[in-house]
Amino acid sequence: MGFCSRAWSILRNFFRKQQIESQLDDEIRAYVDMMTDERIAAGMSKSEARRTSLAEFGGITQVKQAVRDQRAGTKLEILWQDARFGWRQLWYSPAFTLAVVATLALGIGANTAIFSIVDAVVLKPLAYPNADRIVQLLLISPHGSNTNTSIPEFHNWQQQTSIFQEVVAYDRTGPGFNISEDLAGDRPEQVHGIHATEGYFRLFGAPVILGRTFTPKEDSPHGGKVVVLSYDLWQRKFGGSQKAIGKQLWLGKDPYTVIGVLGKKFASDPEAEVWIPFQLEHADTDENPFFQVAGLLKPGITLAQANAHMKLAATQFHRVRHEEDSRQSFAVEPLRDSIIGDAGRSLRILWGAVSLVLLISCANVANLLLVRATARRREFAIRSALGAGRWRIVRQLLTESVILSAAGGVSGLVLGFIGVRALLAISPAGLPRIGENGTAVVIDWRVLGFTLAVSLVTGILFGLFPALSTSCSDLNSSLKEAGKRSGTGFRQSKTRSLLVISEVSLALVMLVGSALLIRTSFALSGVNPGFDSHNVLTLEMSLNGERFQKTAGVAQLAREGNQLLRAVAGVESSAAAFWLPIQVIDGLPFQVIGRPLEHGGSRWMSTSPGYLSVFRIPLLRGRDVNDHDVAGSPLVVLINQALANQYFPNENPLGKQIIIGKNMGPELAEDPREIVGVVGDTHNNGLGRHPEPMVIVPLAQVTNGYTESYTDFQPLIWVVRTRSDPHQLIAGVSEQLRIASGGFPVVHVRTMDEVMGRSTSRESFTTLLFAIFGAVALFLASIGIYGIMAYSVAQRTQEIGIRMALGADRGAIRKLVVWQGMRLAMAGVALGIGMAFGLAHLIAGFLFGVHSWDPAAFVSAPLILSSVALLAVWLPATRASKVDPIETLRAE
Amino acid sequence: MRPKQTNLLQGTLDLLVLKALGPGELHGLGISRRIEQITQGTFLVKPGSLFPALHRMEEAGWLSSFWGESENSRRAKFYQLTKAGKGQLEVEKEQWMRIAVAMTKALRAT
Repeated sequence: MGFCSRAWSILRNFFRKQQIESQLDDEIRAYVDMMTDERIAAGMSKSEARRTSLAEFGGITQVKQAVRDQRAGTKLEILWQDARFGWRQLWYSPAFTLAVVATLALGIGANTAIFSIVDAVVLKPLAYPNADRIVQLLLISPHGSNTNTSIPEFHNWQQQTSIFQEVVAYDRTGPGFNISEDLAGDRPEQVHGIHATEGYFRLFGAPVILGRTFTPKEDSPHGGKVVVLSYDLWQRKFGGSQKAIGKQLWLGKDPYTVIGVLGKKFASDPEAEVWIPFQLEHADTDENPFFQVAGLLKPGITLAQANAHMKLAATQFHRVRHEEDSRQSFAVEPLRDSIIGDAGRSLRILWGAVSLVLLISCANVANLLLVRATARRREFAIRSALGAGRWRIVRQLLTESVILSAAGGVSGLVLGFIGVRALLAISPAGLPRIGENGTAVVIDWRVLGFTLAVSLVTGILFGLFPALSTSCSDLNSSLKEAGKRSGTGFRQSKTRSLLVISEVSLALVMLVGSALLIRTSFALSGVNPGFDSHNVLTLEMSLNGERFQKTAGVAQLAREGNQLLRAVAGVESSAAAFWLPIQVIDGLPFQVIGRPLEHGGSRWMSTSPGYLSVFRIPLLRGRDVNDHDVAGSPLVVLINQALANQYFPNENPLGKQIIIGKNMGPELAEDPREIVGVVGDTHNNGLGRHPEPMVIVPLAQVTNGYTESYTDFQPLIWVVRTRSDPHQLIAGVSEQLRIASGGFPVVHVRTMDEVMGRSTSRESFTTLLFAIFGAVALFLASIGIYGIMAYSVAQRTQEIGIRMALGADRGAIRKLVVWQGMRLAMAGVALGIGMAFGLAHLIAGFLFGVHSWDPAAFVSAPLILSSVALLAVWLPATRASKVDPIETLRAE
Repeated sequence: MRPKQTNLLQGTLDLLVLKALGPGELHGLGISRRIEQITQGTFLVKPGSLFPALHRMEEAGWLSSFWGESENSRRAKFYQLTKAGKGQLEVEKEQWMRIAVAMTKALRAT
């Protein structure tokens, strides 16, 4: 039978039931009448003929039912009946329904919220045509993997044509460009740009809506200055005009010719608005790693194959270069993994946590349903006595639980939607791929599907349990048992106890996890970063142009800028540098003069005078750098306490000379520097790690090579200490900096407190969510314990009455109930402690300043849980102790 | 005395109904009588099995029905084969023949 005709039959049967029923009646009547006619014709009397015909026909009702059962859509109709009946049942017990729906909404809502974030960040494929074949190329060393690549490696990778269809280099947007339509333009705008090799657009499948992308010639050295624009920038600068092609655009101090515009949907990572040909010199032997490399695997090449191939390529690469001892190897990983980074791990942990919450909700609801099913035993016994099969009753109960979970799912969806917005509003989270303010986190069909699946699975999971156990029960005994109220059936109470125990143990796991993370965040906030971030404003400025390729130009800008800034009312001190204290990532080797064999490594930064006073970094010995430490004057350097401790443990470092960046190429070579001061440590490696040795050199005393390599890839950061709220000075400070720089805009204007908050925002996000989930778990578990004890007391009223009549006092009764409830709680706690050790091990990487077996967490969480459990059993226990034996016995 | 009756095999009823309707439309009792006649009284189809079968086959699209007048002018529901029903009759006939031949062979084998 075709689907259409079947669907038609179902519809017809459903909506024209009356008509079809009366036609059936007519048909049967005609049949009997004709049979009667036959018999009369054969000579029977009229009444005799009718009687025998009816007898031969058989039970009319049964025949009709047999016909109905054949009709299409009968099952649907039964389902509809079940649903309507279930709905009425639920409507008549609003407290129960509300409790179940609220519990589920919490569980499902939390899951929806987290899933929508996990989906956006981790699960969704990248929005490129061949996203599953795009890989990031990595350098693997014993210290870990690294995406920063130099030209010789890139050149080697491009030759691996047996596995790659395309290999391209691009950089991480660097400092940004000051863009204007003509040089006289007074107020340029700063945009992010990417230097990319010619194949970049092919690899990412970037749609070109106007013009073209770079030719191989344009991407070779001296290939000319051309630029490809993003859709938005094209709209902004050229109003979407076709005539934009061939126009000139000033990036910094250089004119570029616009050759193409990319489609609106193309989003690169990192985000950018202009693309400029890299023009790498392939013969270059410069080993300075300053860009990333992505590859498009040939169809059919697996990651494992690619990795095996790359390992061989690495060996060969080093052999050709006579680097026998090199332990560096090559590898690939999916580009998505490299973009997500370690955010994926914390999200997966959160997802696990939120699943636990859902499990607890399910256990709780299963418990509530069991109670209800027990109370309805008599109803089901009567139904089966009237001929309802076991399956029919299971189906009825399942229908009800699915209605409940659907209601829970809808409320959960709403809750989840509000929840995820609220969470992202509270905490920017610092997550990759979530778009601006989390706009990429949306409730789409994937999330809807997930919620639907979760609702259905939970509905069936928690519904099946009670349904099966109810329908199993012996008809006779339940009819009898339901008449009296003499305690719950043994098997039932065992299931319920198991549910409560598992609920409590899961809640304990959540509590221990939250306790550990909360202790971590306290430990982190208690860490003295080594500087004062309060009342400091930070502003970024991209230095474009020939002048800033030289140290003198940058030093002059720093000097003039600082002069202007210090004249602004409310500014206490200011400095210009390429790093903030928690972001110093560059490292350089150094050698102490007079110790020929010792090589040291340290973090390295350059700054204008004033940095120490802006951040209130203590000067422990010697002097700060000042305006007299300029090019031409004796070279000086400041070291931090960590470096002093490590390399000058028993001597005075002041006056010692070190040579920095030896063997790093002629551009970075410089003369020895004298150590003139020792400064306090800052957590230059993240708050959770020990400060590393660091050297600070005056901005004005570095080689042109340093200056060039920094202004090309990083913005200059102005840091300003203010006397009051730094926000009030933003306008004045920005204006002075624009004047000092001859028109450069400042961007990413933030207070240092905001920068600090951002750096720990993902951890705070995880901690906040874990704490919320822990609280929800605790709440649900206590409801669960309360529920089972309250119910058991209600069921055992008679027994308690008899005990009292036989002489048990109220204290003993209370003790009995409390003990019974607490035994469950304790079993759950014991089980939970074991499981919590497992969890703590899993999240060990997120912990700081606290052991994964932290005694405080492992003692406080069980204590909190036990006290809440005690409270939850105390109420029913008190009620039990107030049972009036006379009343109860009389009631029977 | 009626001849000895046989229980309808599962699936035979459909075939018999289709066969009975082969020559033309019949009402319920007519079908029942016709089956009795063509099987020489071996199969007596009771309303309890006939009605559900008719309705099922109608929904399957093998039969169509209309209200008409019986030979002694009673209003009755008549059934007739649809095109699909005629096809189904051929299919089931052939199937049955195969089974019957096979069963006969099997039972005659020594």
